[in-house]
Amino acid sequence: MSVLLCRLLLNVPSAVPQRVCSQLLSLRVKNTVNLVKYTVLTRQIMTQSQRIINDSVYSKPVGIGDVENVEMMPELSIDKQFLKDAMKIVFTEGVVKAGDRKTKVVEYLEPDELRDVFDFKIRDEAETSETLLKLLKDTYKYSVLPANPRFYNQLFSGQDVYGLVGQWATDSFNSSAYTYEVAPVFVLMEHEVIKRLRETIGYTNGDGVFCPGGSIANMYGINLARFKKYGSEIKSKGLYGLPRLIIYTSEHSHYSVKKGAAFMGFGTDSVYLVKCDERGRMIPEDLERQIELAKSQGHVPFFVNATSGTTVFGAFDPLNKLADICEQHDMWLHVDACWGGSSVMSRKWRHLLDGVERSNSLAWCQHKMMGVPLQCSAFLLRDNVGLMHNAHCAGATYLFQQDKFYDMSYDTGDKVIQCGRKVDAFKLWLMFKAKGNLGFEEEINIKFANSRHFAEKIKESDGFKLVVEPTCTNVCFWYIPPCLRSMNTNTDEFNAWLGKVAPVIKERMVKQGTLMIGYQPLFGKPNFFRHIFSNAKTTFQDVEYILDEIDRLGNDLTLSDLSKVKSPNEE
Amino acid sequence: MATSGSIYITPVSIDELDDVSTAELSADQQFLQKAMQILFTEGVIKAGDRRTKVVEYLDPHVLKETFDLEIKEKGVGTDKLLQLLKDTLKYSVRSANPRFFNQLYAGQDAYGLVGQWMTDTINASMSNYEISPVFNLMEVEILKILSDIVGYEKSDGIFCPGGSIANMYGISMARYHKYGEAIKTDGLSGLPRLILFTSKHAHYSISKGAAFMGFGTKNVYTVEVDERGRMIPEDLEKQIELAKQQGHVPLFVSATCGTTVYGAYDPVDAIADLCEKHDIWLHVDACWGASALMSQKWRHLLHGVNRSNSVAWCPHKMMGVPFQCSAFLVRDHIALMHNVHCSGATYLFQQDKFYDLSYDTGDKVIQSARKVDAFKLWLMFKAKGYIGFEQEINIKFANSRHLAKTIEEREGFQLVVEPTCTNVCFWYIPPCLRNMNKDSNEFNTLLGKVAPIVKERMLKGGTLMIGYQPLDDKPNFFRQIFSNAKTTFQDVEFIVDEIDRLGDDITISDLGKNK
Repeated sequence: MSVLLCRLLLNVPSAVPQRVCSQLLSLRVKNTVNLVKYTVLTRQIMTQSQRIINDSVYSKPVGIGDVENVEMMPELSIDKQFLKDAMKIVFTEGVVKAGDRKTKVVEYLEPDELRDVFDFKIRDEAETSETLLKLLKDTYKYSVLPANPRFYNQLFSGQDVYGLVGQWATDSFNSSAYTYEVAPVFVLMEHEVIKRLRETIGYTNGDGVFCPGGSIANMYGINLARFKKYGSEIKSKGLYGLPRLIIYTSEHSHYSVKKGAAFMGFGTDSVYLVKCDERGRMIPEDLERQIELAKSQGHVPFFVNATSGTTVFGAFDPLNKLADICEQHDMWLHVDACWGGSSVMSRKWRHLLDGVERSNSLAWCQHKMMGVPLQCSAFLLRDNVGLMHNAHCAGATYLFQQDKFYDMSYDTGDKVIQCGRKVDAFKLWLMFKAKGNLGFEEEINIKFANSRHFAEKIKESDGFKLVVEPTCTNVCFWYIPPCLRSMNTNTDEFNAWLGKVAPVIKERMVKQGTLMIGYQPLFGKPNFFRHIFSNAKTTFQDVEYILDEIDRLGNDLTLSDLSKVKSPNEE
Repeated sequence: MATSGSIYITPVSIDELDDVSTAELSADQQFLQKAMQILFTEGVIKAGDRRTKVVEYLDPHVLKETFDLEIKEKGVGTDKLLQLLKDTLKYSVRSANPRFFNQLYAGQDAYGLVGQWMTDTINASMSNYEISPVFNLMEVEILKILSDIVGYEKSDGIFCPGGSIANMYGISMARYHKYGEAIKTDGLSGLPRLILFTSKHAHYSISKGAAFMGFGTKNVYTVEVDERGRMIPEDLEKQIELAKQQGHVPLFVSATCGTTVYGAYDPVDAIADLCEKHDIWLHVDACWGASALMSQKWRHLLHGVNRSNSVAWCPHKMMGVPFQCSAFLVRDHIALMHNVHCSGATYLFQQDKFYDLSYDTGDKVIQSARKVDAFKLWLMFKAKGYIGFEQEINIKFANSRHLAKTIEEREGFQLVVEPTCTNVCFWYIPPCLRNMNKDSNEFNTLLGKVAPIVKERMLKGGTLMIGYQPLDDKPNFFRQIFSNAKTTFQDVEFIVDEIDRLGDDITISDLGKNK
C-alpha cells in the first residue's frame, strides 16, 4: 500500500522495483501519516519548481532536440555558433583525418619555426571567430596525432570513439567527482567500474579510486602501506624520529616510485633497487638479500613495488614469489600494473599477472593498453575498506556536510589527496558498455598478436635484431644499417655506432611524419627502438610496413652521418 | 611518399558534419556523429538554459535502479548507447546552468569546451616537445602570461591536476630550497620538525599535503583569523616564535587569497614582511581568488602577491575554464622545479634528441603522463583577450555585491560576513524563527537546521544549487558563489525569491526532525 502511494505521489519511475521503493521509504518515513505528509510535500515542491522553471522569464518552452530554436534569441549566440563550427573541424580533422593512415603522424617543425608560423601570442582584444577557427585547424596540423595507427611512441595510442564521447560528455558537464550531490551519475559509475576492475584483478573486497595518472596511483600505494603500518600516528606526526622506511622496486621499474619517495619524505636513498634477470624481471632472491641488508642496517623494510609490464622491456615480475616474501616479512605488496594490467582482460594473457590477487594494492592505467582517452588510472585496494578514507580524509564541512539528506557513503571525495577531481570513470564505463568484457578481450588479443607477429618478422629480416623476447606488447629491437653489418658485433666500437642509429632514424621519421617509435639506451645496451602496440586498429600490414619504413629511412646511413650524432655524455 | 602510398585510403573530404556520406564513415564514426548531436543539444544548448532543471535529482538507490549501470560480458548496440548517453546527461548536475552556484566552478565556456574537446581528440600527454609540440609552446606562453599577471619577473611553472597538488608543489619547493639535494635523497626522518603555517580558514589541502608528504598534520600550525576571515599577521609571528622555542624549524607559510567559504584575502604584504624576516618560504594559495588579478578593479585584493615565492591559481574556477586547469608558479628559481622532481628517465628524456631539450618539461613534475590543460585556457585568452576576461570577472564581482545588497534589504535574510571575493555567505531565517531571540542557543540550533532542508528541497525541485556549511561556531549558512559570467542581476534576485519560496513554510517541527 505505502509503496503504491510512494509511486503515485513521488512519481517514482515505474522501472524502479518495489523493494527499492520500500527501502527508500524505510529510510525516510516511519509511519503512514508521516509518509503522506512527506510525499505530498515533496510532490508539491516538485510541481511548483517545474512551474517556476517553465515560467522562467527568459523565454518560451522549446521542444527537445530543437537545436536551432533554442536560447533567448532567434539565432545561436556567437559563442554557440562558434562551437557548432568548431565541432565540424573537430570531427573532420580530429577524428576522421587524424585516424587515417594517409595523414602524417606529425607535421614536424622546430620550436622556432613553429613560433613563426603559428600565432601563439595573446592580446588585449579578442580574435575573430574566423581567426580562431583557423587556429584550431593549425593546432591539428602541427600536433602529433596518436590516433594514427602508425603512432607507437608512447604506452598510449589510438582513438576510441566511445571513450571520446564519454570524455566529451564529461567535459560538457564539467563535473568534479567529490560528492553524489554534484556528480550523481558519475559517482555511481565510478563505483561500478572500480568494482568491475577489482573483480577482474581478483580482489573480492576492497576499495579504489581514479587518479591523475599512474605515478600518483603508485604514490597512493606507498602512502597506504605507511598508514597501515603506523596508523594515524604517522598521519599526524610525520616521519620525524622514525627509522628509515625502505621501499623496494626493480631496477627496470618506473621512475615514479623514486619520485614518490622524494615527494613523500622518504628520500630516494630509501628506495632499494632490486636486480633483474635478462628478461627484465625482478629476482626474488635479490629482494630477500636486500631486505636482510636493510634490516642489518637498522632500517625498516615496509613496501615492495612489483612491476607488471615494465616501461621499456614490458617485463612482468613474478608476483607469487614476491607475495610469499612479503607475507614472510610482513611487507605491503603493491603492483605497478599501470602498463601491463590490461592483460588481465584477456583469458589468454592474464597468466602474466599470476598471483596479482595476493597483492595489497595495484595501479592500473586504462588509458594505456585499453585505449581509454587520457587520463584514466585506477588505484585499487584489496580488503581494507576504510583505509583510504582514514589515510587521506580531512573532513571539510563545506563539501562533506554530515547533515545531508542522502546516504553519504557515496561522497567519495575525501578518500583522495585532491579536492576537485576530474571524472575519469564515465569514458571507461561507456567503453565497457559498448564493447563488453569480450570486446576488450578481443582488442587486447589483437595487440599481443601484433607484437608477436612483429617479433617474428624482426627475426626473419636482415638488419633487425631483437633486444629481448617480448612479454607484454613492447618489442625492443635494433636496426643495423648496411654500413654496420660487416662489423664485429662484439666490439665497443660497434656498440658505439649502433647507439647512434636510432636518433638519426627517429629524426628522419619525425620530419617525414611516416611513423613514430621511441628509443632509449638501457643498462649498457646502446640505443634501441621500443615499439609499443596499444592501438587495436593496427593490423599485420601495418606491422610489416614498420620494418619496410625503418629500412627505407635508414639503409643509406653512412658512418659519417652517424658520427654527427652527439653521444649523451658529450656536452 | 610512404604515407600517400598507403593501402588503406578512401579519401574523405568533409565540409559539413551532416553532409558526410555515411558510407564513407566507419560504424563507430557514425556513432560519434550522432553522439555529437546529442552532446550539442543536451550537453550544451539545454544544459546552459535556465528552463532546464539544474538537476533531475534521484536518491542513490533510485538512480541505481533507474539507470542501467551494470557492465556485462557483451557490448550493447548503438541505439542503446545513445540512450545511455542521454540518460547520463539527464541525471547529471548541469553546472552550465546559470543557476548552479554550488561549487567554486560554474558555467560552460564554449571556447574552453572546444579547447578541451580538441585536447581529447589529440589525446596528447605533456611530457615533451616531441609528443605535443604545439601544446608545449602554448603552455610556455600561458604560464608566462600568468606569471606576468601575478607580477613575477622571472618564473617557472606548470599545470597540475588540481589546486591541492599545486599547493603541495609549493611545500615541495620550500623543502628543497632549504635543504637542497639532501632532502631529496635522505628524506625527513633525521631532520628536526619542519613547521607549515596556514590560517584557520585555509583550504584542507595544506593539511592533506602535510600528511601525504611526511610532515604530519600536527606540524601544520593554524593561525587565527579576524572577523572577515583574514590571517592575523601578529598571530603568525607569535606562532613562528613558538615553533622556534619548541626547537622546530619554521619552513613554509601558505597565505590564502580567496578562502573557500568566506572568500577572504590574507594580507599578503604584511605576511611577506614576516617571511622575509624569518627566512620562510611564502606560498600563496590563490586557487580561488587569483582570478581577481585579471581585473584592474579587483586586483588590489592580492596586493603584495608578487613578493611571494610561489603561487597556486586555478583558472578552472573564477575564469570559467573547463575542469581542470590549475597553475603552479614559482618566482625566480628557474631550475628549482626540475631539480626537486627530476629523475631523468632515459626513455622519455633522451639527451641525444635532435631538438632543444629545454622544451621537454615533463621531468619537472611528479606525474609522468600529464593531461594537456594549457590549450583550453590559451584558446579562451585568444577568444576574449585580456579585456574579455576582465569584463567577466567584473560581472561576477558585481553580481556578488548585488546579492549582498539584496540580502540586506530583504526580510528573513542575513549576511554572515561582508563579501570580499565573489562568495556571499548568508542565512535564511524562515518566518517560524523570525520572532525568536537571535542570541539564544535554541535559535542557533534551529537556524543550523534550515539550510539542509532548503537544500534538499532545491535539489528535488531542481531550480537552484547552492552549498552550505557551518564554520567555527556559526550554524549552517549558505555559501553562494559567483563564477558564471552568464548569471545576471535577475538571476541574483531569483535566488532570494526562490529560497524564500522553498523555505517560508518550514515549521519548528520540520526543523526538529532533522538530525
